[in-house]
Amino acid sequence: MVTNNHQKFINIKEFYLSVDLIKLKGVTKEYRGHAVLQDVNLKIESGDLFGIVGQSGSGKTTLLNLVAGFLSPSKGEVVYVSKVTQKERNLKKDLHKIKKYIGFTPQHNSFYHKLTVLENLKHFGKLYNVKPSTLKDNIKNLLIFTHLVDYRHMLAEELSGGMQKRLDLSCSLVHRPKILILDEPTADVDPILQKEILFLLKEVNKQGITIIIASHHLEGIESICNKIAIIHQGKVHSQGLIDDVKKPFLKDHFTINMPSNKDKSMLIEKLKKLSIKKILDNDDNLVIYPDNVESAIGNLLNIIKEENLLLHDMDIRKPSLREIFENIAKK
Amino acid sequence: MNSLWLLTKKNLQLLLRSRSSALIVIFAPLLLILIIGLSYNTSAQYDLYIGVHAPSFSEDVNSFIGLLDEEFTISKYESSVESCVEDMKRGIVHTCISLPETLNVQDNSQKEITFYIDQSKINLVWMIQETVKSKFDLQSKQISQDLSQNLLSKLSETKKTINEKKGDLTLIKDKNNAASTAASDAKISLLTINTNTTEIVYDTSLVNTVSSSIETVKDNIANALININALNLSSTNKTNITTPLYDANSTINSAISSLNGNGTSISSLINTIELDMQVLKNQISNISSSLATSTSNIDSSSTNLAESITSIDSLLESLNALSTTLDSLQVTDAAIIANPLTTKIETVREDNTFLNYLFPTLLILVVMFSSLLLGTTLVMMEKNSPAFIRNFFLPIKKSTFVLSIYLTNVILILIQVVILLAISLFFLKEVLTTLPIIAIILFISASVFTFLGMVVGYLFTSEETGVLASVSLGSLMLILSGTILPLEVVSSPLRWLTLFNPFVISEKLIRDVFFFNASISVIFLDLLLLFFYMVALFCIILIIETLLHKHLAKKFLKHRHKLHIQKDKMKKSVVGK
Repeated sequence: MVTNNHQKFINIKEFYLSVDLIKLKGVTKEYRGHAVLQDVNLKIESGDLFGIVGQSGSGKTTLLNLVAGFLSPSKGEVVYVSKVTQKERNLKKDLHKIKKYIGFTPQHNSFYHKLTVLENLKHFGKLYNVKPSTLKDNIKNLLIFTHLVDYRHMLAEELSGGMQKRLDLSCSLVHRPKILILDEPTADVDPILQKEILFLLKEVNKQGITIIIASHHLEGIESICNKIAIIHQGKVHSQGLIDDVKKPFLKDHFTINMPSNKDKSMLIEKLKKLSIKKILDNDDNLVIYPDNVESAIGNLLNIIKEENLLLHDMDIRKPSLREIFENIAKK
Repeated sequence: MNSLWLLTKKNLQLLLRSRSSALIVIFAPLLLILIIGLSYNTSAQYDLYIGVHAPSFSEDVNSFIGLLDEEFTISKYESSVESCVEDMKRGIVHTCISLPETLNVQDNSQKEITFYIDQSKINLVWMIQETVKSKFDLQSKQISQDLSQNLLSKLSETKKTINEKKGDLTLIKDKNNAASTAASDAKISLLTINTNTTEIVYDTSLVNTVSSSIETVKDNIANALININALNLSSTNKTNITTPLYDANSTINSAISSLNGNGTSISSLINTIELDMQVLKNQISNISSSLATSTSNIDSSSTNLAESITSIDSLLESLNALSTTLDSLQVTDAAIIANPLTTKIETVREDNTFLNYLFPTLLILVVMFSSLLLGTTLVMMEKNSPAFIRNFFLPIKKSTFVLSIYLTNVILILIQVVILLAISLFFLKEVLTTLPIIAIILFISASVFTFLGMVVGYLFTSEETGVLASVSLGSLMLILSGTILPLEVVSSPLRWLTLFNPFVISEKLIRDVFFFNASISVIFLDLLLLFFYMVALFCIILIIETLLHKHLAKKFLKHRHKLHIQKDKMKKSVVGK
């Protein structure tokens, strides 16, 4: 569906190759003496699809606005580093130069409702001083990419919620930014649209555009982001690759479900010989607490294979972002 | 430049696509001026309802009411003025006039006419006062003319009488002169009468001497008789001798008796004469006294006559002077005395409809309100637009945004002005000649008001309060312009300040150009002041924009974020249930 025209959009990928590195160095943001963010240190690299998650009011929007240059830090600094020259540019000082490389999609749609889709795109594209021919191509590709071709002459206010979201995204991309910053892109939208938006973001990221998303739609973030930062009470609780972030929260147990009680009893006997802390028999499943989950799973699979036992299912999944998040929130 | 045009184009599109804004901001002022144009393109008098109360509607009162009736709608109140006042309170009549029984002035008492005016209807009060008062002035002048005519007639009669009586006075004076002369003559005649009397003393010794001599003679006769008797003479002889002697003696006795006897004696006679003489003397003395008195009286009369003549002379002189004074009266026309100064208003223009007089005010009024509202609305539209945050990331200077709003406004105002002037041409043909200068003035005025509106737009948060503030600002400038209330009623410092009111300056400029064909050089200073306002306001807007933009953006984000959190909480609570 997207592929052919998507390809066209990808053709301009080289434009985005020299993506910058964003660093937040000891950033603190205070409002009237109250610290919303405290000593935040972050590193967002080119090509990242970086998710900022946190509870409502945790400071993720503030963090996003600091990254976008919309807010200035009370302490610390936000710098943009050119990969080519390795030159650091303070966002506050060079905002005017940097902001043309940024595409910003705020929480709520940010376009002119009384202009048509095409007029909105043209308006913002021209204001970014994009060459007319390039702009024409960009708009064409974006319209196809976001499935808005047939609605290009409709007033923005007449579009459906999903279309408006896509238009908003298009407006942020029309000037081919290096970094796309999105604040709660999936808020207030239905699950189908959420999925659609996430898909689009993933596609955009594939074209080399660094994406930073602040959202509390944790499943969505988890599904598309390669890196995340968890903001909790104004501080970065953890950050990095999702797997790295999850590591401290890996489960100390796994669950197996066996249809035969005979097989189950045999397995329990076999497992008792291994370094297992505890086995809970819940009738319909077994919850096993080993010393080392990974080696215990390996051993378990070997026993099943050797003894030819019948295994119905096995739950060895890593904790979800939501579980981690709730874990943090509980603390 | 490209950005400026793009933003302006976008603003125009947004404004025109927002039907309510387009209607209110663009078409409403035009509609307004069209309606005003149609309404005031007349020279008809004000449609005023006047209640008149009089104790009795006499002929002269009715005549006066007839005068009022030519221009106003009159309602008569025969019962009492209170009912008229009540009607005025209810708006049935605009003013009440209480007239006296008659307007004829017959004594020294003034006729009082009472006006009842509802001061709360401030816009009507002056108009009513002026228009109705002019009618009374006319009536008052008529009465004054009649009275003057009466006075002049009396004066003329007096003059005639004086001239007539001057002859009589001259006659009296002549007679007085004659009397005075006669008195002088009489006095002289009287003075010639000698009333001096000498002391009349009758020497009665002579009578005594004679008497003594006669006595002696008598004695001698007696002696002779004795001697004779002693003589021996015959008796005859003797008788002969003694008889004459005796006769002589008798005569002597008689003579002595005549001399010394009582009553008829000479002494008595002399005494009588002396007495008579004394009486006479007394009478002469009295006459002398009377003469003296008469002379004195004549003197007095002469003096009085002289004084009288002097008085008559003085009187004549006064009458002559009076006559001369009366003759010297140059103004003898009662109409001129009653109304010595006639006011003739020469209009500087030949126009005679209200629209002509109102045109500069209306033009600036529309430009002011349109610019203020458009300026505020466009800033508010930009501030409250969902795209406000996206604009922050555009590589465009803040001044470009400000200028785009200004340019949008100017374009719209220019369209309005073109339409407005086109409509005006329909009513006022002469607008065409002054069009270029008027266009320059309107452009600068519109710029000033636009920037003012934009300042308001930046200072207020919601569109409603912003528009309200704009309207209030416009109204304030209108009130302090002399359009609604004369500036003379405001305090001096405030009046001085109004000279700097952009509305006043703009209106004056249009008035000067429209009415008097003033050239640019004449209006240069005022135009410069407006231009200064324009530049100053632009700088203020840039400062405000710099100070407020980030604040507004943060506020915008915060507001949106808050909404999102609220929605989130609501969602959770619904799921919880």
